[in-house]
Amino acid sequence: MAMSGVDLPPVRPQTSLQRPGFLRRLMADYGQELIVLLAIVVLFVAVTAVNPRFISANNLTSIFSGNAYIAVAAIGMAMVIITGNIDVSIGALIGVLATISGTLAVAGYPIWVAWFFPVLVGMAINGLIGILVAYFRIPSIVVTLGALSILRGGLISVTGGTWISDLPPAFLIAQQKWLGLPVPLVAMIVLTVLAALWMRYSAFGRSLYAVGGNPEAAVATGIPIERRIVAVFILNGFFAGLATILFATQLQVIQSTVPPNLELTIIMAAVIGGVSILGGSGTVIGSTLAAILFATIGSALIFVNVSAYWLRAVIGLLILATVLADMLRRRRTV
Amino acid sequence: MHKIVLSALLALSFSTSLSHAQSAWTGGDDLPTNPLACDATPATAEAKPYDGGQPTNPPDRKGKTLTVVDVPKLVGIGYFNATSKGIADAAKEMGTMNAKTDGPSKANIDDQITLIDNYITSGVDGILFAANDPVAISPVLKKALAAGINVVGYDANSEPDARQWFVNQAEFNGIAKAMVDSMASEIGEEGSFAIVTSTFTTPNQARWISEMAAYQAKCHPKMKWLETVEAQEDNILSFNQSNTLINKYGDELKGIFGMTSVATPAAADAVTQAKKCGSVAVVGLATPNAMKPYVSAGCVKSVVLWNPVDLGYAAAYVLRAAADGTLAPGATSVKAGKLGDLSVINGSEILLGAPFVFTKDNINDFDF
Repeated sequence: MAMSGVDLPPVRPQTSLQRPGFLRRLMADYGQELIVLLAIVVLFVAVTAVNPRFISANNLTSIFSGNAYIAVAAIGMAMVIITGNIDVSIGALIGVLATISGTLAVAGYPIWVAWFFPVLVGMAINGLIGILVAYFRIPSIVVTLGALSILRGGLISVTGGTWISDLPPAFLIAQQKWLGLPVPLVAMIVLTVLAALWMRYSAFGRSLYAVGGNPEAAVATGIPIERRIVAVFILNGFFAGLATILFATQLQVIQSTVPPNLELTIIMAAVIGGVSILGGSGTVIGSTLAAILFATIGSALIFVNVSAYWLRAVIGLLILATVLADMLRRRRTV
Repeated sequence: MHKIVLSALLALSFSTSLSHAQSAWTGGDDLPTNPLACDATPATAEAKPYDGGQPTNPPDRKGKTLTVVDVPKLVGIGYFNATSKGIADAAKEMGTMNAKTDGPSKANIDDQITLIDNYITSGVDGILFAANDPVAISPVLKKALAAGINVVGYDANSEPDARQWFVNQAEFNGIAKAMVDSMASEIGEEGSFAIVTSTFTTPNQARWISEMAAYQAKCHPKMKWLETVEAQEDNILSFNQSNTLINKYGDELKGIFGMTSVATPAAADAVTQAKKCGSVAVVGLATPNAMKPYVSAGCVKSVVLWNPVDLGYAAAYVLRAAADGTLAPGATSVKAGKLGDLSVINGSEILLGAPFVFTKDNINDFDF
């Protein structure tokens, strides 16, 4: 930043002011995203220096595509948190949707039904959650905690925990490639970019920030807060459904139980990616980068022989730092 | 509200990380090991006095119908479905036991304690359990004994005096021998291998790993242990961890041990997707159904386990015998229906038998 002013002739002071201005704006809009991106780059450089296999094509595939479902789910979660809500039932929802998906596939329904029917189910369940939050004014943490218990308990009661195997090979889309790239990676990038553009440039997307950041002003400008909250939960169900397609088709068997702590990982991805836990700011680019960061840390710890327990300690510290920074930023601007 | 959520998240991530930060990273425990002989010589049993607990003033239950609750580590996984089936089979066969299974939906010790406590209050004749934590579960089991309830463990033990008997599915050194021998026969005496386990402090897994290390050092000294990674009971995480091991070690890695019924199929899938079938062997503990695709495809040759249906079945018979008074402290064996006489070991444990290795030839005979 500093060097840009030095080289410029004094006759054009305008330019020397504009450049730092642009950077400052970039830092203000995408500060956390840049920090996370920097962390990923530093990790890659450092671990590759220790063991060059870290950056092999196979390992990159493992890092990006094995965890893409977390990034996809975190897109919906970021939107929910931006409106000042939270969803702790998402891990259980993904477990339930995966079981529905696998059951349909094994029962002989067309593959696309097995993929996309669970997406509709996810949207319906989350629509209901949204209605309870928006119109009945029940805090989202309470509604989704209830949903968590219902989904998790219901899953076990219905399946009895039997694993689903004998999945048709065509169903296993997460193991396939598009244009030479693993499907989960392509899906993660495309969905993140589309969602980010939509959040930044559409009136609807912009209004979500107003709902979370300044509800009074949102009401004053005519934004229907209740409908936005229901919509954002339906979107969350949509992304959870898409995440499920990647999750359920990764292996030849589906474990009919809810993966432990999946909701925490997804929420952490959103928060570390710069989505303010208080609502009103953040981007889905940040949540996707944070999901990639977790995956990179997880792989890196094995490559440099550090216990995986440090992963949680590191992520805990990252959250603390992120939230502190968020609080400080807010205190300064208010 | 969000601050509360956030502090909860933080507390959770810190507590789980810091409490384990000190454990040995290889995933074994510090207890003494007792590797078996390299050939098939059985271990010599060491006589040990009875060290279990006894119920306080139990009513006379001899021959009477017993109400029994089975509290596994968690419900909803193939393994405990199978033990539950064995208990139900035995109860049906005896005709004098009403058994039901009720466990936590996550392998969580607090939920398990609450459940057992509720059943003590509601009144049952017998409790069967598989502990999520050997120490933490003991007080509530002692409370059950004090209430006159017969208590028998299986699969994962408590402290000895917190239950009457424990049905031991296989001695740790027996499993360790079966695992390491299978691996050695697949990758050779000089092969390198890594381990995917649940967590470094899960008691069974930690014990097996220690015994495997001891047996390998004694009987297959040239094999090379690369590292152990933990993957919870999460199949996608197990898959990712296995991939990372394959990527990290390249051709050096010849085999992966899966220490849980979740990790083993995920490791097999990672090997399959990396197109390493035949060059990276997977040997592990797993239930047959989850392994059938990989065993049928020839990617996995040995799946080591005992028969969990038999384990639940034996536990139900042991509880019946304890309630009837036919299995009393000092006994050296117990009759367990179709399984015949099972021997008492380590003071207050009943040994189920030698481990079972599922292969392509027999795996389709099992459905759990």
